[in-house]
Amino acid sequence: MNAPARTATRAAGTRTPLVDGIEKVTGRARFTADLAGDAAVARILRSPVAHGVIRRIDTTAAEALPGVLAVVTGADCAHPFGVLPIAMNEYPMARDRVRYRGEPVAAVAAVDAATAARALKAIELQIDPLPAYFTATEARAPDAVLLHDDKPGNVEREVHHVFGDPDAGLAEADLVRTATFTCAEINHAQMEPHAAVAEWVPGREELIFHSVTQVPFYTHKHLARCLEMDPAKIRLVKPFVGGGFGSRTETLNFEIIAGLLARRTGGRVALVLSREETLISHRGRPETEVTLALGMRADGRLTACKAEVVMRGGAYAGYGIVTILYAGALLHGLYDLPNIRYDGYRVYANLPPCGAMRGHGTVDVRHAFETLVDRMAHELDLDPFTVRRANLLEAPLFTPNGLMVNSYGLPDCLDRVEAASGWKERRGKLGPGRGLGMACSHYVSGAAKPVHWTGEPHAVVALRLDFDGAVTALTGAPEIGQGSSTMVAISVADTLGIDVGRVRVVCGDSATVPKDNGAYSSRITFMVGNAAIGAARNLRTELAQAAAAKLEADPADIDCAGEVFSVRGSAQSQLTWAEVVAAALAVDGPITVKGSFTTPEKAQGGGHRGGAVGSTMGFSYAAQVVEATVDVDLGRITVDRVWVALDCGFAINPLAVEGQIEGSVWMGMGQALMEETRYAEGLPLHASLLEYRVPTIADSPPIEVHIVESVDPLGPFGAKEAGEGALSGFPPALAAAVADAIGLDMDALPLSPDRVLEALVAKRRAAQRAKRREDA
Amino acid sequence: MTEALADFTLHRPESLESLAILRRAVPEARLIAGGTDLLPNLRRGLVDAPALIDLTALPDFAEIEPLAQGALRLGAGLRLADLARAPELAGPRQAVAEAARGVAGPAHRNAATLGGNLCQDTRCLYYNQSDWWRAANGYCLKYRGDTCHVAPQGKRCRAAFASDLAAPLIALGAEVALAGPVGERRLPLADLYRDDGADHLALAPGEVLIAVHLPPFAGLSAYEKARQRRAIDFPIAGVGAALARVTGGWRLSLAVTGTDSRPVAIAGIDDALDLPLSDDMLARIDKAVQKQVTPMRSTMISSHYRRLAASALARRLAQRLAEQARDAR
Amino acid sequence: MTRILRLTLNGRARADAVADNLLLIDYLRDAARLTSVKQGCDGGECGACLVLVDGSPRPACITLAAQCEGAKVETLEGLSGPGGALSPLQRAFHERLGAQCGFCTPGMVVSATALLRKTKRPDEGAIRAALEGNLCRCTGYVKIIDAVQTAAAEMAADQTAEAAG
Repeated sequence: MNAPARTATRAAGTRTPLVDGIEKVTGRARFTADLAGDAAVARILRSPVAHGVIRRIDTTAAEALPGVLAVVTGADCAHPFGVLPIAMNEYPMARDRVRYRGEPVAAVAAVDAATAARALKAIELQIDPLPAYFTATEARAPDAVLLHDDKPGNVEREVHHVFGDPDAGLAEADLVRTATFTCAEINHAQMEPHAAVAEWVPGREELIFHSVTQVPFYTHKHLARCLEMDPAKIRLVKPFVGGGFGSRTETLNFEIIAGLLARRTGGRVALVLSREETLISHRGRPETEVTLALGMRADGRLTACKAEVVMRGGAYAGYGIVTILYAGALLHGLYDLPNIRYDGYRVYANLPPCGAMRGHGTVDVRHAFETLVDRMAHELDLDPFTVRRANLLEAPLFTPNGLMVNSYGLPDCLDRVEAASGWKERRGKLGPGRGLGMACSHYVSGAAKPVHWTGEPHAVVALRLDFDGAVTALTGAPEIGQGSSTMVAISVADTLGIDVGRVRVVCGDSATVPKDNGAYSSRITFMVGNAAIGAARNLRTELAQAAAAKLEADPADIDCAGEVFSVRGSAQSQLTWAEVVAAALAVDGPITVKGSFTTPEKAQGGGHRGGAVGSTMGFSYAAQVVEATVDVDLGRITVDRVWVALDCGFAINPLAVEGQIEGSVWMGMGQALMEETRYAEGLPLHASLLEYRVPTIADSPPIEVHIVESVDPLGPFGAKEAGEGALSGFPPALAAAVADAIGLDMDALPLSPDRVLEALVAKRRAAQRAKRREDA
Repeated sequence: MTEALADFTLHRPESLESLAILRRAVPEARLIAGGTDLLPNLRRGLVDAPALIDLTALPDFAEIEPLAQGALRLGAGLRLADLARAPELAGPRQAVAEAARGVAGPAHRNAATLGGNLCQDTRCLYYNQSDWWRAANGYCLKYRGDTCHVAPQGKRCRAAFASDLAAPLIALGAEVALAGPVGERRLPLADLYRDDGADHLALAPGEVLIAVHLPPFAGLSAYEKARQRRAIDFPIAGVGAALARVTGGWRLSLAVTGTDSRPVAIAGIDDALDLPLSDDMLARIDKAVQKQVTPMRSTMISSHYRRLAASALARRLAQRLAEQARDAR
Repeated sequence: MTRILRLTLNGRARADAVADNLLLIDYLRDAARLTSVKQGCDGGECGACLVLVDGSPRPACITLAAQCEGAKVETLEGLSGPGGALSPLQRAFHERLGAQCGFCTPGMVVSATALLRKTKRPDEGAIRAALEGNLCRCTGYVKIIDAVQTAAAEMAADQTAEAAG
């Protein structure tokens, strides 16, 4: 049992406000744009054309304008960048060819915003248009012009995975149903627009770079690559970051551009993007079409699944290969379902590139799966909970596609939300227009294989202890509001037996912290948490030796709790923290230790091509019930209440775990109810927070959170992830609630009022037609 | 540093006389009060003005004045937050307060004024975008271009007028007081608007809306709008309804905002009614609204939906007011 | 045109030369270095830039600095208590996790401050109404409502204690 008992003196498991929270509530927190000061103002010139060949870029007039400090174009960087070493096909500014409206083609730095704006207008840009494709179907047409010459059919990646015998499975079923679901493209819409502040240090030829990134290490690498610099000459700083949700999980073009401009000006430049530009930078969840066939026996047991998934990925690779692999891989690992066929197609189109977004790869497919399960349960007259319970896994196990499942709290999650929502008593009795729906979901706790494979540990945390008695934790794990620094502080404090307040967490400055892969795939708690515990154990060992020497005891018998060292079983011999620190430092001066975490080989997925994606040390599991009311006159859905239970293994910080679950459920609600991008010939119609609709507080229901702790054998204190697993359950739970409320099955997301009303009208017409046929 | 606004001079006249002088001196000047409509447009480069005239220092500009027989004068400078909680608008004319309460968010309502809301610019997906965006799209009929992307075959701009307040005020028979170079004139509010998204205000050169007059009213009123979110969003269809006690029965007035380039006062439903409303009457209301509103593809949500929502709201409000009137008897 | 703008900013009188076309947000962030005032959208859509002007929340990103002549302007930096102590709202946002990434927090605390100055014990509906123009992308608003309720209860308890003492 690696989970600590919850006691008053233990830090792990205690509701802990964020260690960097004071700055946020007082206005002292400095985000990237707050660091601009008197930096030169940078602006990007973007392509007005969706697809075309660049014939001419003339920057002479712009460069001649008084107050213009630098102009750069695609000619200034010949190195492509991209998240996957095997799929780097994007340049910071287009060279030769543009592939989406809004793609950067040039950039300027000037003394002020007005001059920068004038300079952009003074750049002459001539592009010869090519045919452009805005849907996956158009792009895949046989005669379509290729966006990338090496990708026939404009298909970035095809995946065909078969596990078990899906055909035989479907043949065994009492009920087979097939449906096609269309899920709109959505964006992260993190509250902080993109920004970078880059400073070139002339003489030392160094670059000091501040950015909104979730992946400082990757951005550091790509800056070095694109600027042809020794990485040692770059210092990458991540200030306070205003949310990410995947939007900054890869290096972005504006970051490289800011670096190029800083070097060209030989000074500081601030490149702060507008909301429109931030939306154009995109990397959101792609428009996805899921065609799903499921087989079910009369008792609710699932026999087989066949899924075909087509994603419109935008103009460049980004995370596309990972996304299309995730979509198939995470068909596994939630239920006991041995027969699965998956066919995935990631398609290029002349739109801003998609990328990773919270619940990466799994959300739209899970929506389709759970929704179809709900419909089939209805058809077989089975309770949706019964169907889920008929298909549970029994941990530990490996799924057919090689995913490791060591802990599985889904049964508890089901029990908790079923009871809390009053499901048995209330369902079907809520009155007209009101309904209850439920769904399950899961997510990885860190990708077991990083995208940049180096052979290094997945995470390293260093601890320093000096004369002041503070423990400084150095971590590259980017705190972006999710509470990772607080998790590190708790993990260190708990392991050492000291107050959380004694731990000072330094994160996100490459000059001081060990490399970390970044804030994505819900990896930090599992990986960095384990590394932090490891580092703290090493420090504890040194302190125990010092204490043991003073107390004339065996170091193995030394305990520290509440910052007091004692010999186990002896009430007399006690030393204070300060006394032990002084003794330990006297041995060899200030202490630096580290801890690391490497994923076990067996966690790294199946041996099939693409088998590493989806592999993880442990899955979070979630079940939720949504209560909704439908206004059939206006097609409007009100989400009245949500009950959600999530198995996070162990809640190191229950306060933050709740916050993550609430936030992820709510983000699923945004996708389910209203969020969608839309383009007019590739121009984003949704280019503002008025047209890209993020739910307001007036749209947002109470969310009742239940934390389930299955205590994962490999997790830090038994913990797994908590910030993504519940998201993908919301859309299908809402669709089920709508079906329960008004008997309407919807095949598209979001369930916006126009879609609901049109479906209602269509349903009424179909009923009338049927009645007429009957009468005739 | 946000995108720099174009240069302009800000004036703040303290009397109608100095306002008139300013308007003669700088005819291209744009008027500003709360700024919640003008400044987003300035930021997007949609306004080309060498000067702004701030109206908030004008005398009696933000007063609610009771007039004879229960009529009411609302100063154009009243903030929407004040309208939302004005006791004068708590009773029969509560539709006005309801509409004010539903505009944007609280901070906007603290700034935005009645006059500004009624004179706000029309809106369109192809217009309320950045200069880069509009340039990439060849601009549009409303501003700097010659094609309406919403109705390319048409000859006029189809941007929608999305003032919440216009609908209930028209339903309640409001008139507006306009101060101009040759003095003051009164106009039915409905006549302030033209069915042209690029030129939707029937103001003479130099004219300023200084007040709204509400005639005496006995009855009930309500406002409801369809929108995707319960806050912030403009109405994609908003309906103001007034059910007036008249000799021999009741009379219903309906006005719809958010669907057309001007608010639409629904015609053909103004005969005296008996309560409760018959199914025939409700069907007539439904049909009248569907026929008279002409939403176009100027919003993210479909025009078909906006039409259906407008009629559904109208029917619902009429029924609700009729029930309330019956209960009150 | 440029003019001298006189106002009271977080309790201190100031005079600055400002251009007529200067937005309040740029004045506050660039001239006064009050960077809690956040730009989250391209004008009036998100609420991250809210400040109090004569006690009422206003969107600084669509307000001209020159329109604040003679006004009393407060930003989040000015809402802490004596000696920089956290206000009850600031403390509640911190302790109840009303702030995750913290980018919307300045606007949220500004809106909530205006609410609690007027309404001592707002119900949940009043809190939702007061914050309906502030977008948050992290919290789902659950803990923001909790934070405002917690602060209101604490302030009410303090007042009761004061009245009793």
